[in-house]
Amino acid sequence: MLFLGILVFAATLSSIAQQPSVQFIDADGKTIAEVPAQRREAQVYLPIDAVKQVIDPATTHQYNHPRKRLTLKIKGRQIRLQMGKPTVSIDPGGQTLTLSTPPIIIAQRPMLPIAFFKQILPILNDVDVIYNSNLNRLQIRPKGTWTSAETDNIQNWAIIVDPGHGGNDQGCEGSTGILEKNIVLALAKQLQRISKQQGVQVYLTRETDTNRTQFERIQVAKQNRGQLFLSLHCNASFSPHEKGIKIYLNNPKGQIRFPNTTKPALTGQRLKVLTQVNFLKQSHDFARALQTELNFLTETPVQIIDLPLIALSEAYMPAVVLELGYLSNVEDLEKLSNAEYTESLSQAITRALQRYISSVNQQTSATAIE
Amino acid sequence: MIDNQAATNTSQKTNGYRFSVRFFCEKPFGYPLREKLYDDRLPLNRTTLTARQTDNRQLFNNAGFSRLLVIWGITFIAVLICLGVTLLLIERSKQVVMPVAPPLLPTAANPSDTPPEPQEVNLFLLDTTTLTLVPIKIERRLHRELRPRLSQVIRALIQETPPNFRNTIPRGTELNEVYIDSQQTAYLDFSSHLSDGHIGGTTAEFLTVTAILKTVFDAFPDDIKQVQILIDGEEVKTIAGHLNLSQPLRLPQ
Repeated sequence: MLFLGILVFAATLSSIAQQPSVQFIDADGKTIAEVPAQRREAQVYLPIDAVKQVIDPATTHQYNHPRKRLTLKIKGRQIRLQMGKPTVSIDPGGQTLTLSTPPIIIAQRPMLPIAFFKQILPILNDVDVIYNSNLNRLQIRPKGTWTSAETDNIQNWAIIVDPGHGGNDQGCEGSTGILEKNIVLALAKQLQRISKQQGVQVYLTRETDTNRTQFERIQVAKQNRGQLFLSLHCNASFSPHEKGIKIYLNNPKGQIRFPNTTKPALTGQRLKVLTQVNFLKQSHDFARALQTELNFLTETPVQIIDLPLIALSEAYMPAVVLELGYLSNVEDLEKLSNAEYTESLSQAITRALQRYISSVNQQTSATAIE
Repeated sequence: MIDNQAATNTSQKTNGYRFSVRFFCEKPFGYPLREKLYDDRLPLNRTTLTARQTDNRQLFNNAGFSRLLVIWGITFIAVLICLGVTLLLIERSKQVVMPVAPPLLPTAANPSDTPPEPQEVNLFLLDTTTLTLVPIKIERRLHRELRPRLSQVIRALIQETPPNFRNTIPRGTELNEVYIDSQQTAYLDFSSHLSDGHIGGTTAEFLTVTAILKTVFDAFPDDIKQVQILIDGEEVKTIAGHLNLSQPLRLPQ
């Protein structure tokens, strides 16, 4: 009897553990809804209630059991699905779609795949949908926030991306032998490609595996009239448990600080440090934009930390150091070695760039009106 | 009067004095001077030479054994004394870690004659579960003077690795020297392994520097206000490429 009880308990536990839940997140990273889901063969399926919670509370549905046909009425539009078939028809308009994963029946209830939300939502509302399969997060972002005038403004911006280390200076090393200098260079190139598609011009401080001095890196920024400096690094710690993305800002009054009175011999250097610090507020704005976008990718919240940094001390523009993850941590190392993850990372950084630029453009236009 | 060749032979065979005169005079004074020296000082011939040689040998043969005994005896005693002194030093260094030599002539009235009492020191090490730097108490007999005491504390921080905690200074780093200036700035001069042997990463560099700062400020709250890290006696911009260490550092209050 006791044995049976334990068995039932274990079965319920395992069923709970197997049941993932999908988080719906808005553009600012706030959770809209969390819906319990079902996993079948590496695909995640959501009940029809999710549509009511996320898209339109007035949604009605009809399900024909013997014919396995589902009709949804969302925002005055009729969507017809057939269980086990990928085709979807939308009326009025007579549009037909092919889902990458067909809807199925689980426990005699019709269930909708993540693909339904990814593909149908942009048609119903003017939104973009991004899915993070690792954490089962679905972000719904407003589409078309970029008017043509703003796109021009974006193209005028010159973003300097600085892949850290290089050449003899290999940075930190993962247990698999992967090197920081190579990870950041690959990611910087990927970021440059993806940003270009979105109309953001990115310049790199090094295109090959060569070590550049701080002066040379800043020189690239000056030549290209850079307006934003993003230094890419990989982190390491003495503890294998530490993981996650961290953003660092150059602040001589941070968690380690310079004294107020300095030796006269170092006055020149101190002046330089102060000049970078004049951009501290803008750097913070950019860091927060990055934080909002990158939080979508990680379980551990992205932290912003102020420290006196040498990597940024001579960049006379808003500047941050982005530590993509810990090479001393197995999970982070695995993620950073995965091309799919770095692609989503580059996309998130690109979105952060767009977010920051548009906020600056809005500020400047607001001051112009005043 | 002997010819030049003979003079060379005799001086080499017999007498160190004469040989050395010839040897030293050869280069600076040149040939004529040397000739003159020999003219004055060498009234010797072969017969007197051999007599002296045999004399020497006899003397050595007779007294040889006792002389050897004396020489070896002295050497043996000297070695014993050296051993004793070394053992004593080792014994003392076990009790007190002395980074600098103790005062050479301590007077009986000097209070530093009595060994200092063991004191508690907090070393800041990384707790691998909470990922924070935590103070670990150790007991040490600390030197009374500030400078040697500071280097004792830093050396303890480098060496100490209790279980479940991680030392944030690369293994094998050495502390070369410490200096304290009039503005209460402590300069800690590490070997280059602090930079070369560092695992990299902003977090790791931050932990290394913060562990040093916290340990110093905790042990010397009144005497040291700021710390600058040097490598092999020179100011450095950074140790792992991220933090700016070109100036003395403090911690936020």
